[in-house]
Amino acid sequence: MAKIAIIDDDPDILDASSLVLTSKGHEVITANNPDDGYKIVVDNSPDLIILDVMMNEPDDGFFLAQKFRKNNITTPIIMYTSISKTIGMDYGVNEMVPVDEYVEKPISPAQLIQKVEKLLHKHIER
Amino acid sequence: MDLLKQKILIVDDEKGLRLGTKRLLEKEGFDVVTAENGTEGIALGTSTEFDAAIIDMKMPDFDGILVLKEIIKKYPNTVCFIATAYASYDTAIEATRVGAFSYIPKPFSPDELLLQISKGLEKRELNLQKERWQKEREERLLEVAFEKTRLNTIINSISDGVLVINKNGEAVLYNPSALKFLALKNIKIEEYIIDKLPEKLAEQVKQFLNSSEYLKRSLTVQLQMKADNELFVEATTSPVPAPDGSLAGVAIVIKNITELKKIEFLKSQFVSMVSHELKAPIAAVYGFLKLISDKSMNLSPDKQNEFINRSIVRLDSLLKMVNDLLDISRMEMKTTQREIKELNILDIIKNIMDLFQLEIKKRNLNVNIKSSEINPLFKGDQDEITRLFTNFVSNGIKYNKQNGSLVINIEKNDDYLVTEIKDSGIGMRPLEKDKLFHEFYRVKNEFTKDISGTGLGLSIVKRIIDSYAGKIEVESEFGTGTTFRVFLPVVDNALKENKVTLNNIQSV
Repeated sequence: MAKIAIIDDDPDILDASSLVLTSKGHEVITANNPDDGYKIVVDNSPDLIILDVMMNEPDDGFFLAQKFRKNNITTPIIMYTSISKTIGMDYGVNEMVPVDEYVEKPISPAQLIQKVEKLLHKHIER
Repeated sequence: MDLLKQKILIVDDEKGLRLGTKRLLEKEGFDVVTAENGTEGIALGTSTEFDAAIIDMKMPDFDGILVLKEIIKKYPNTVCFIATAYASYDTAIEATRVGAFSYIPKPFSPDELLLQISKGLEKRELNLQKERWQKEREERLLEVAFEKTRLNTIINSISDGVLVINKNGEAVLYNPSALKFLALKNIKIEEYIIDKLPEKLAEQVKQFLNSSEYLKRSLTVQLQMKADNELFVEATTSPVPAPDGSLAGVAIVIKNITELKKIEFLKSQFVSMVSHELKAPIAAVYGFLKLISDKSMNLSPDKQNEFINRSIVRLDSLLKMVNDLLDISRMEMKTTQREIKELNILDIIKNIMDLFQLEIKKRNLNVNIKSSEINPLFKGDQDEITRLFTNFVSNGIKYNKQNGSLVINIEKNDDYLVTEIKDSGIGMRPLEKDKLFHEFYRVKNEFTKDISGTGLGLSIVKRIIDSYAGKIEVESEFGTGTTFRVFLPVVDNALKENKVTLNNIQSV
């Protein structure tokens, strides 16, 4: 089973996501701000990172993802977004934003598990 | 003299002929005046305009030719006939050369005379008509010229850009705004201009000019003329028809829509913020409910209860946020019903304090309320003013430290009722202070993570203060505390009061 880091400033989302993933046998570590998030990833080398796009600032998550990649942390990242694409803030997987998967909140436990398994599987294949 | 009758002057020294002709013409319905010599003829013929004059060639005092010259000099349209017994080719030529309509050889038959006169009068009518037309035409030309300058002045003074291009793609009319908006320089009339226009606009113009048929519609395009949203214009191209119905050219009207674009951007930014803020609690509650309903999760009853309670907390805050948003929207649309009356600010603040007793005790805060006035009065809506101070008191308590202090000081100066709310709380960094009144902005750090709020309180407060023409000051030091100073104008209130009294006096 895998070690997963969840970085989100919403304690309810942290708890709910943690519960879902631990129930599947994963080990979960959490942080509620970008600085702590960076630290737990460096200290624990998780297999997967789940990252909220908007913490203190609307693009905190992006900057943290970029910081990981710049420092050669290639751990796959799932980005949580809660801003609908219909209002112009369209995020996509590209060079600028080095994440592997986008998930729009709210997300059901089943969806979360499915996305996590898919990405872990892909990562192991690589 | 009958004004409707045509007037004829007869100048002849021969009495019989003079009177005979007069009788004849009067019978034909003319108004006839006679003169028995040249002197009298000139005097009469130059004092009123006659339709026609029959002038004898040979008179004792003056030559008929001279009389004719004088009359024509004054009234060029009087039709003159020279009557002569010595009719010859030469006299005929001389008479017509100086301006006679024709000559009548003496003796003449009545029919001969009448025929000549009717021809002459016809000619006169034509001349008069021609003269009238000429005058009208000159007037119209003047008017057109005047109209053109007036049109130019109007076009040059309007703030929208106007550019007219003929079917060859040459500029035929433009105003300074058009040049400014389209960043065109040194343009000459009748210069080929299509390739100098912004690409999208040029394409639009070509659609009209290159079309084989006349396109009866307008096309609009929005152009960003300067980077960083500094200049946005909207250009509308419409066809201009030629008299034969074909295309003469196009008229382009260019509007500056920069401000609109800015508002549009602010609006979508706000909508995006609102959506995010509303979606966060929904996502949390959704996650909890999914967990509870998922049998495979095997949640303990305690855990289920905890998640239900946490969901309720999130929904409560969501509801508060929606209410705050509705309040903001009501304030923006100015649909709030205000009941303005005299309020005692000290009483209002004391009442608010009572509501927060529990929280004050919990944090063991030292609260001190001072006022320079026994009754600090302000005219306002009770709900709004209460809401305003509730916000500051609530913040002063929420963001305070254990065993801290909250000092409220009310003072009145000439212009304002100043209420100072000073807490010994966690304070703010300068950057945080700048964003304080932005919608949804909440200071986030290790101290604030357990403090709930919608992030709309201070932005509502700001709107209330603005609506009373007041102002607000913030002083804050990170870790030490924050002081808010609310200035509510008293002078304005007093002025309004005076006005009302004056009006009352006038109406009595």
